[in-house]
Amino acid sequence: MRRLLVLAALLGGSVVAQPALPGVLTIRFLDVGQGDAVLITAPEGQSLLYDGGRSEKRMTELLRQFGVKSLALVAASHGDADHITGLIPAVQLFKPKLFLNNGLAATTQTFGKLTASVQAAGTQGLLASDRVINLGSVKITVLPPPPGMPRGDQNANSVGLLVQYGSFRALMTGDSETVETAGWLKKYPANVLGPVDVYKSIHHGAKNGDNAAWLRAVRPSNVVIGVGPNNYGHPTSEALALYKSAGAAIYRTDLNGTVTVTVQPGGNYTLSAAKGTGTTPQTRPASPAPAAPRTIPALPSVVYPNCAAVRAAGKAPLLAGQPGYSRKLDRDGDGRACE
Amino acid sequence: MARPHEELGICYVVVDGIEGTLARVELPDGTTEDWRLAGLPRGVKEGDVVRIDVQGGDVEMEIDHEQTDRRHALGQRQLDALNAGGPDGEIDL
Repeated sequence: MRRLLVLAALLGGSVVAQPALPGVLTIRFLDVGQGDAVLITAPEGQSLLYDGGRSEKRMTELLRQFGVKSLALVAASHGDADHITGLIPAVQLFKPKLFLNNGLAATTQTFGKLTASVQAAGTQGLLASDRVINLGSVKITVLPPPPGMPRGDQNANSVGLLVQYGSFRALMTGDSETVETAGWLKKYPANVLGPVDVYKSIHHGAKNGDNAAWLRAVRPSNVVIGVGPNNYGHPTSEALALYKSAGAAIYRTDLNGTVTVTVQPGGNYTLSAAKGTGTTPQTRPASPAPAAPRTIPALPSVVYPNCAAVRAAGKAPLLAGQPGYSRKLDRDGDGRACE
Repeated sequence: MARPHEELGICYVVVDGIEGTLARVELPDGTTEDWRLAGLPRGVKEGDVVRIDVQGGDVEMEIDHEQTDRRHALGQRQLDALNAGGPDGEIDL
């Protein structure tokens, strides 16, 4: 059998640290909540982190949990916080050789902290361009944003990676939008883009990411969605329907936890999930897992930068549910801020 | 009559991303929250810095274009500097 496809479900939701096995390529779609992070470790031990999720703390835990000892390269698909925040501790801890990016600065503090960390680590920036990066014996082809993308749109300037090891192929393309996937379809021959064995869903299964024309080229066997509790409706029914119609098995980090792909020399591979039973087009639950919705302010009617401002306004203490209450002002989390 | 502590009610948030009718904003402490896009100034875009002035129960919000441009220019200079001198061609790691 050319491909060995096994879903190993580990009960109880706990994840055992699994350092990469020697001689195999390991790709981990990390459970970072709502966001993306993919850890790729070559058979020879070199590692690459493609995006880092939205939490420094979570990424630090995951790097420790999976026994990461070094990172040769970190890549930001684009500059949004749910993709780059976790890259900050990764850079600080491991001082990677290279920081691959799309060349477009974001205006957030998070982005500034990341670039400052890259500089402090002595890490070389690497503007995405058409090139191959050999991670040991694993061939990583960089897919830079195609020409003509709107400069102010981070999503549409996502950097993609095509991972090849033997006959195995995996593709991940950040939070690309239709304008970018259309550009890639024009730029690359169809056999460059697909078929792929494992594919990272675009933009956590948003409406404006994956589309029929693109998936006809990619032809994924398995789709992994990096998604957690969110207010956006990710993954959307439209995206799930697309993956189903492509005949792909679907894995979700919110349901399955970290999803690990282990690739043997030659290209045979195994998928395993940290928890749950995985999902397939035939057996996947029809609706997303219930998520604890975060409170969305009707509008940011009152925002206090600190407790001094709360006190100056005569509003202290602020109780949960009152205008202006926020968890960042409630350090002990008892529902009373600025006590 | 001057209002005491007026400056204490001013803060800046950054629109990190727009997801349909929601905006993911970066708060002054670096964390993010989802706010309704309709509650932000009309025409706000990803990357915009929004100045929020809270006085008592009154809230004023506006896109701070100057601050947005300044932060973007600073970030771009830093990123360009990092990317300068990167290796050419195929890379072996």
